[in-house]
Formats: sequence, structure tokens, C-alpha cells
Amino acid sequence: MYTSAAIVLGVMVLFYFIALRFKLSTELAMLVAALAGAVAGGHFFPARHVAEGAITYLDINLIFFCATLFMNILKESGGVAYAVRSIIKTFHKSRILLLMLLALLLLIPGALTGAGSVTVLIVGSMVAVVLNYMGVTKIKTAAIIFLIAGLSAAAPPVSLWAMMTAAGVNMPYVGFFWPLLIPCVLGALFTIFFLGWKGSKIDVDKAFEELPEPPQKMNWTRIAIPFLIFFVLMFMGRKWPHDTPVVGMPLMFLFAALASWLLSPKKIDLFKISAATLKQLLPLIGTLTCVGILVQIMTLTGVRGLLAITFITLPAFLVIGSLFFFLPITESVLMYGSAAVFGVPLVLLFNSMGLNPIVALAGMSVIWPLGDALPPTAIIGRLTVDVAGAKDSYGKFLKQCIVPAIVIMILGTLMVVYSKQLGFLTGI
Amino acid sequence: MNAILTEIISILYYALIAFLVVLIIYNMIKTKDWKKEIVYVIILIPFLLRLFMLK
Amino acid sequence: MDRKDIIRKSLIGVAGLVVMTVAGISFYQHRHYKEEVVISDQVQVKKLADYFPELSGSVNDCNIYMVEGSEPGATIMVLAGSHPEEPAGRLAGWILVEQAKMQKGRLIVVLSTNRSGTTVTRPSGAYPQLYTIPTAWGGQKFRMGDRWTNPLDQWPDPEVYIHYPSRQNLAYMDIRNLNRAWPGRANGTLTERTTFAFMNLIKQEKVDVVIDLHEAELQYPVINTIVTHEKGQDLATMASMTLTDFEGFSIGTEFSPVNLHGLSHREIGDNSDAISLLLEAPEPFLDATRGITGEKQLLEGKDAFVVKAGKHGLLYAPIDENGWPIATRVGRHTSTVLQILQSWNEFHPEKEIVCEGVPKYKELIEKGVGAFLIDPKTVDKGKVIFE
Repeated sequence: MYTSAAIVLGVMVLFYFIALRFKLSTELAMLVAALAGAVAGGHFFPARHVAEGAITYLDINLIFFCATLFMNILKESGGVAYAVRSIIKTFHKSRILLLMLLALLLLIPGALTGAGSVTVLIVGSMVAVVLNYMGVTKIKTAAIIFLIAGLSAAAPPVSLWAMMTAAGVNMPYVGFFWPLLIPCVLGALFTIFFLGWKGSKIDVDKAFEELPEPPQKMNWTRIAIPFLIFFVLMFMGRKWPHDTPVVGMPLMFLFAALASWLLSPKKIDLFKISAATLKQLLPLIGTLTCVGILVQIMTLTGVRGLLAITFITLPAFLVIGSLFFFLPITESVLMYGSAAVFGVPLVLLFNSMGLNPIVALAGMSVIWPLGDALPPTAIIGRLTVDVAGAKDSYGKFLKQCIVPAIVIMILGTLMVVYSKQLGFLTGI
Repeated sequence: MNAILTEIISILYYALIAFLVVLIIYNMIKTKDWKKEIVYVIILIPFLLRLFMLK
Repeated sequence: MDRKDIIRKSLIGVAGLVVMTVAGISFYQHRHYKEEVVISDQVQVKKLADYFPELSGSVNDCNIYMVEGSEPGATIMVLAGSHPEEPAGRLAGWILVEQAKMQKGRLIVVLSTNRSGTTVTRPSGAYPQLYTIPTAWGGQKFRMGDRWTNPLDQWPDPEVYIHYPSRQNLAYMDIRNLNRAWPGRANGTLTERTTFAFMNLIKQEKVDVVIDLHEAELQYPVINTIVTHEKGQDLATMASMTLTDFEGFSIGTEFSPVNLHGLSHREIGDNSDAISLLLEAPEPFLDATRGITGEKQLLEGKDAFVVKAGKHGLLYAPIDENGWPIATRVGRHTSTVLQILQSWNEFHPEKEIVCEGVPKYKELIEKGVGAFLIDPKTVDKGKVIFE
């Protein structure tokens, strides 16, 4: 079994790099790797496995599409420009207050939805514009948005890594609130002050001159109602889960998008903006779809098991000591799938070592999202650089992320190491 | 009441999927890059499977 | 767009459609595959909707097999297929339905407790869609399922699943996990309506003991055990001790955690007069470290990677190169169910239940599961039921 899985893994890696060499995009390279792996494993026409893997992230893709459509409509209608102008006007005098407000703004959407990409898509561009007027370079801005978006995804109430791992080990998703919230807030504040403190005073006149002029009829009501619809739907589901139907996040965003479209002072062609949104999201949706296919083939051929068993049978100190780079790497290849593939055996391992599984899992959940900036997928990293409008090389963006990322890694690792002592945070 | 709303929500989801299928095909026809054409076709598969209630 | 573009786009499109169609046909065939069950004269088949008419016509309106003895006695219900990715439970259920001859009391068996979950395999899981149990007459095919209700039957999921009525927060996809949806509610999701219907059944039929059959990955601490509600403490302990002493395999007992909601062993016991028990057998196929995934691994239960995990002390059940073959896992279930009946009789001599004809652990290992499946072609059409 070892030999065959290792051969398939070798073939996958080889074809992945060959595909990249032939200038194929990451998602197509993953598809090529998956198909080559399937053939190496003796599956010559794996149509069913390709299709079954491809549907893995259907719901997440729907969320991405609807959330981005909402944001694009808001932008097109002039709502974003209006909101940015108002924020600058009100808060331009206090940098501390403004930075804290921006950190909070970045933490909320991901915390509620469990997806860092939603943070990037919903508030990313708005925060980017404000940070730019505060004299923060675009590349630093991208780093701030990316890192806090990742923390927002890990932040409670919804942390998909923690939830999926907890589900995999039959542990209720209870006791995670403080163990997740504390490192996320600390990490977010550190990130925004470390990267955003230095800058210039906001030149209000210049900002107002450069910012696009929103349509005359634009006002806070037109911006707030779609958000209100989204939050009311989410609140209802939480408050009265047994008296209201399950709406699901895609539809919540779609309702917000439609409200924003109806309230726009400017006429917007819904089909055109939808098609443009899909075009914008093609790398993201394509990658997620191909990751699903890749994981399916890795599972089919035993490669997934080979990777999992190799890692968890390392000496304990090595396992814990290497979490800080191992988890982001698994995230970069498998995305949320890494919770199922590696999170589950790791939590079971920690449990058998006498560590507190809840705090340890919370610590891991903070580290995981850092991988969203790493190749091969680097989906959220690329998305953020795009949203922030940074034109520098991707390597420069990663360099900006390093210091806060190290702090987050240390925080997460310490939580795993001292999970037993921090057990009181769970309140159980 | 809840049952009716659930039914409506379900119909809306399938409508959303159908809309995305149309968008994917439209964009696939419009694009000039063969690599993007392949990606469009790949992402079309799960949406079609759900639309036809196969998976 | 010139001719070349049109040709290229058409070729790419057709390639995608071919993949979609081939896969789509296999998904359709899997979802609609009819599994055959042979029933004797003693078996009466009801539908779950008989206990909750609103479920009628839905995919989860499953068959309820009632095997009734000539003399009155206790009523014991066996739930198989709560998690249809755990085949030993369903196969043990099949054997109970086809082989059990009741002298006293009544045995109620459900083979597809979450029928919707039997019609789908897990995305990214690379499960086989069907598996074949070899028999003297050529083999019988079964649907492999998933842990969760098919999204085609219950969609969308919320961002977080809030269990009814405890309001405990669980991972979003567990809203489709039948063993997180007890005791259910009448106007809930399909999964919750299903458990609600089962609660009605349990109350109406005055079920004394409910046994929920499961399998678990070896890395999971709750394995090779009987999980029991407080009410079943004596019953489970006695069954476990006797099995360990006389049947050649060891099985432990664990108490159902009071703060873990939605599970059968907790909620059925809390919300009805029945004692609720849950059996876990080992299934290396479910381990996250498993190697090549397919029908062979599922049925033979052999896996070099899982063995390695065992050597590093990471498992809660032993495993060697012989693995955990399906006959061994099914045998654990049938023997444990029979022993629970026996132990029940010792505590309740006034309300006995006596069942014969069901093979035990050793016999199953010796002859294989297929030896106890009846060829549907050899019986009257009226005696063949489809799952």
C-alpha cells in the first residue's frame, strides 16, 4: 500500500509541476495532477470520481457567488463610495479609533459566516480605500485585510475548521467561544497596529476629491437596508431556529443583493453584473471545484491516508512543533478539507496525549487560515491582493504578512501546548 | 407555514443554480481563452448535477 | 467567434457533458438501486409514515419489519442505517429480518433508518457506490451510503445547526445527521421529522428497548462498546460481561453523556419509556488515515496505514494485518443484540423475548455473511421487499 500510494503521490506532484510549467492555471494544474494520479492508481476513466469530487464545495461556491454579487452591486450603485466618505469624515481625527473600527469591521462578516473570503468580499474594498487614505501602502493594506479575514473566519460563532473537526470526532461545538475569540481579537489588533500604525494623516480634501462621487440620491438607508436584511435573516435563524425555515447563507446574500439592486439610485443590468461577478470569481470557484476533485482522487488512491499517517506518527513534539507550518500547508492544498483529513486525527491524537481537545482545536483553527495565502491554491490571498488593488508581486504581499503571521502561529501553538492549563476558557 | 416557506426556499435554490448554469455557459461562449473554457466546463458539472437532481 | 473557436468550444463542452452524463447515470442508478429483502410468514411490513402520516411519500418513509412471536413478550427494536456509511449494522439487520424466528415477544427491525442517507456517497470520500456480499447463489448487492441525509432531500444547510429542543450548537452539516436529530419535531427538517416519526413508533408500539447499530473509526474513543442510557445500565453491563466471557470477543459499556444532545442513546431514553442502547463496531474504512479506498477495504477491513496508527498507540481498538472483516463486525452486532435479549429476560422473566435462528459471532466468521442471506429468486414475489 505504501509503495502504490507513494507512486501515485509522486505522479501527482510531477504532473502538477509539469502543468504549471506549461503555463496552466493552478486549478487546471490540480485537475491534471488529479487525473494523472487516478490513472497511476489504475482508474482510467474516473468520471464519477471527478464529478463527485467537483460537487464537494458547491455550497461554498454559491456563498462566494452571492456575496460577491451583493458587493459588486453595492459598489456599482455608489454605496461603497458613499460609506467610505462618511467613515473618513467622521473618524479622520483619531487613528487609534479608526484602526480599531476597521479591525472590528473586518472581523464581523467572517465570524458570522465562517468564511474569510466573505470578509474580503464584503468589507475588504471599503477598508482598503480607507487604509490607503491613512497612508498605508496597498500591499500592507492587502496583508492587513488578508490576515484579519483569516482570523475572522476562525473567530466565533462560526469557525468551520473547528466545527468540521468537532463533527468528525463527535464532539459538540460547545465551549469554543472564548478559546477562539481571544486569540482572534489579539491577533487582529496586533496585525492592524503593526502594519497600519505608520502612515500619514488623512488629507480629507484630497480623499474627497479622489473618491468617486456617489449618485445624489445615495444615502445610508439605501446601504443599510440590504445589510439589515442579511443580518435579520441570520439573527432569526439563530434566535428562532425552530420556528423559521433554514434559509442558508447563499440565499441570505442573494436577498441582500436583490435589495441592493432594487434600492440602487442608478440602473444596474443584473445579468451583466452577474456574468461579470462569475468571471471575477472563476479562479476561486475553479480552484475549489478542482480541490474537491483532487481530494477525491487522493482518497481513492490512498495518497490522503499516506499523508495523514505520515504526519500523525511523527514524535509528539515534532507534530506540535510543526503545526505552525504544517496546518497552513494542508490548508493551501485542501482548504476546509484539511479539517477532515488532518484535524480529525490530530484532535484524537491530542486527546489521547491528555491535552484539552477544545482549546487545542481552537489554537489550530487560528493557524489554519494562514494557509489561504500559500500556493498552490492561495485563493483568499490572491483575492485580497486583487480587492486591495495592489499591483506589487505576490511575494511582496507574503513578506508583509510574515511578522503578524508568526505572532498568530505562536499564539496558536501556545494554545495547543498549554491547552490543559487554558481549559478554564471553555467554561465546561 | 414553515413547510411552504421551505418549499419556496428550495425552489429559489434550484432557480439560483439554473441561473448560474446559464451564466457559466454564457461566459464560456464569450471567453477567448481555451484554459478558461475548460475551467468553466469543470465548474458547470456540479451545477448541472444538482440542477438535474442527480447529486 | 470563428469556426475554430466554435469547434474548440464544442469539443470542450462535449467532453464535460460526457463526464457529467457518465457520472450522472451512476449517481441515478445508485440512488434508485433496489435492495432485496426476503421475509418469512412471521414478518409483517409496515411503513414509518404509519406513525406520522406527514412523512408519507417522502424518501425517508422506510420499511418497518415486525417479527412477531406466537406468545406475547417484550418489544425490542433494532435500528440499522442511522448512518448508512456503516454497513455492518445494515447487514446485521438484514440477517435479523431474514433469519429471526420469534417464539416470544416482538422484534422490530429498521434497515434504512435514514433512507435518504443510503442514496448518496460522500463527496471527496471516494466511497464505492455499491458493495457485493458473496453468496452461494452469486452475491447480493447493497447500497453504500453516507453519514448524512442526501442534500437532494434536504437542502440548504444553515451556518450552524441548533439542536431541538436543547439548542445545543453543532456543526452545520449535522443538521442532516440523523443521530444528532433525536427526538425530532413534527414541523422540522426531513431528518427531524424522521426521528419524530420513530419516537411516535417507539411510544405507540410500546417498545421496551431500542438498539441503534453503528460502526466507528478505530481512532475514535467510543468503539467496541455498548453506549447506554442510565436506564439501560444493568442490561448493558450484564450483556457486555456475558459476551466477553462466552462469545470470544470483548465489548465494553459506556454511559451516554448527559450534555451531548441529539443522539439516540440520550434522547430516546429521555423522551420515552424505552431503554436506549447504541452498539459500535470497528470500521477501518472510516479512519482518516485509511489507504486505498474502495469496496475491498470496506468489506475486508484491512489497511496497512491504520495498522501503523495502531502500532503508534493512536487507536482505541486493536487491528493487525487480518483487519476487521465484515463478517466479524456483523457477528459482533448479531451476538450483542441476541445477548441483550437474553439479559433482558433475566431481568424481566414476566415479559420474555425469545428469538431463534439468528447466527452468532463465531458462526458468521466461519460461514460468512452471505450464508445467511436468502436468494430472492427462490421465494414468492410477495415475499421480496425492496429497500
